[in-house]
Amino acid sequence: MKSWKKTAFASMATVALATVMGLTACGNTTTPAAGSSTSGSDDATITTLDEGKLTFATSPDYPPFENLVDGEYVGLDMDLGRAIAEELDLECVYTNIDFDGIVPAIVAGGQADAGLSGISITPEREEQVDFSDPYYVDNQAVAVMSDNTELTEDNAAEALNSETVTIAVQSGSTGEAHAGEYFPNAEIISFPNFTDCFAAVQAGKADAVCGNSAVVEQMLSGAYDNEHVIYTSATGEEYAIAVSKDNPELLAAINDAIAKLKEDGTLDELIVKNMGGEA
Amino acid sequence: MRVVALCLMSCLMWLAAPATPAHAMEIVNCTGRPNSDQDKTSIMGATQSRITFVASIAEGEGVEELTLHIPDGTTFGTDDLQVTLLTGENLMTRNEVAYNATVDGQDLVLEFDEPITQAGNLNIIVYDVYFPQEGGDVQVEATYVAAAGTADVDDIPAIKVTGISGPEALSQWLADQAWVQAWNSNRFLRLFFDPTILVTSFPVVLNGFFMSVGVVALAFPLGIPLALVLALMRLSKFFLWRGIATTYVNLMRGTPLFLQIYVAFFGLPLAGIDVPNFPLGVIVLMLNSGAYMCEIFRAGILSINKGQNEAARSLGMSRVQTMLHVIIPQMFRLVIPNLTNEFITLYKDSSLLAAVGVMELVMYARTIVATTGSITPYIVAAVFYLVITLPLSRVTRHLEESLRGHRSRKRKRAAAAAKEASHA
Repeated sequence: MKSWKKTAFASMATVALATVMGLTACGNTTTPAAGSSTSGSDDATITTLDEGKLTFATSPDYPPFENLVDGEYVGLDMDLGRAIAEELDLECVYTNIDFDGIVPAIVAGGQADAGLSGISITPEREEQVDFSDPYYVDNQAVAVMSDNTELTEDNAAEALNSETVTIAVQSGSTGEAHAGEYFPNAEIISFPNFTDCFAAVQAGKADAVCGNSAVVEQMLSGAYDNEHVIYTSATGEEYAIAVSKDNPELLAAINDAIAKLKEDGTLDELIVKNMGGEA
Repeated sequence: MRVVALCLMSCLMWLAAPATPAHAMEIVNCTGRPNSDQDKTSIMGATQSRITFVASIAEGEGVEELTLHIPDGTTFGTDDLQVTLLTGENLMTRNEVAYNATVDGQDLVLEFDEPITQAGNLNIIVYDVYFPQEGGDVQVEATYVAAAGTADVDDIPAIKVTGISGPEALSQWLADQAWVQAWNSNRFLRLFFDPTILVTSFPVVLNGFFMSVGVVALAFPLGIPLALVLALMRLSKFFLWRGIATTYVNLMRGTPLFLQIYVAFFGLPLAGIDVPNFPLGVIVLMLNSGAYMCEIFRAGILSINKGQNEAARSLGMSRVQTMLHVIIPQMFRLVIPNLTNEFITLYKDSSLLAAVGVMELVMYARTIVATTGSITPYIVAAVFYLVITLPLSRVTRHLEESLRGHRSRKRKRAAAAAKEASHA
């Protein structure tokens, strides 16, 4: 663990750092970086895993938020991560961790500085990690096979909430929670990967798939064009970046960066670019 | 100032438009967020949840104020209150609504800075909600002030709350204990051995334990006859039998079980073969372990002394009789330790079924890990694996020792007999 420092409050910062290091008991060097501060908070001493680098943990199976195209990390989250790192004068690094392993990895430390993977804020997760200000508000959508005549756009809200319907969701996702809240009578089966939910619908293992609408749209425009959306709901789940509770300086810096990106319109641009529409 | 102005405005409007009792606001939805680890759909008392209240507003109604009355016994917070107006086609356009929230007892009063005149759904999410511990139906009531006057939102569905379960209650009691807090202040202990999550995940993961044991307890015995047939085919003199069995065994042993599961769960249904999840899981594990056990049996049969075969044949037994009555019984005794090992491997490998939505041990644990961000449920799952594997490996060791002991005793006896014979 190395540290990176932005402002002139060298002595104060060093004391603070020493405390942090003492707590985390890692071999450490302080490197006061010269130069003016680019982002807000005055006493910003950002400690990151690797000096000069900001490492995000992500699970690249969730387009258009994050996925791998020819080995490149693409998507809204990925663009946002790069923009934030740029704001903080850090190099952006992504590390690939399964979605349900990201929060534990942030708590444990050592693998990534922050989790950026379409993670929505929930009270349970807030007990483990701190969340930045939200950067995206989620909508939910339900898709079925296009030739399904029993589940249609006209009867979706009622028909989906029936004992004979099986809904595939990604384990731990907002889609899972949404299906549980609005379709409690349906049978809900969870898959670790969101793509597998669509495969399950193709295979007839499930009647419908429920998840983030931007992701559902993306999937339907790609490999699963024989499915269609029958239900949407603006649910208001908030996506945010997860940061270790031991690193409030980084959280503050990320929040400043997000605020700035919101203000200058960069965030909206990124949303339009990746979601193709409604910012 | 603003409040006075609003009051004045609403009074004026009241006077201006005396009595149009139309339903300016109609309920769309009023739900609580499920918060149970055991069941994705149940809402428990005394555990953090939230209320989502959605009501439609007709065009031009000018809703100025909305009061949500949340019944006694349910507490709520206003810090993270979310108020949005959803408009447009499919109601997917999100509009921020400026408001001022005040709490008066169990009433949450929202005064809107501007009267809402746009048609749409008003979506209010109240966080930090704790429903009554004993459960029951929670009936939220709502009253609004619009241009046309004050009215109630009718027919709001009640939120069904179940009483808190034993483990959840224990978990909450634990969370208040000083030693638990001290324990959890250590990051490692909190991540891997959080007592509050330990007690809640135990009964949940237990469900998966029965599922895993069920799958393996069926797949393993069914795999034995398959393996025996395969082993005999591999030892057959007829090239076709040998070829088929060898190809099958090489295919099953040469590809990851994970892929076989994927092909079976997503491939077979597309080929028109639709088998429910549980039997399909049993079949895939059976086919896989059959290939491994085939090799165990083959090695076992080959290790039986040739003399046994010759002796049996010279007594006039047919090849089939020799195999059934002489070779295979002896072989079984030899391979029992290896079979036990195969059982342990199969039991652990059943965790791979989690990838295709079979609710077994790991999947239950995984679901809780994904929602809580704590590793503790995996530790609970590990315990459930050890409950089976530790005693079994003891049994294996015992069997191995007794086999070895038996043989060495026999050898000793033979040696002693030889000695006596030479003395005589």
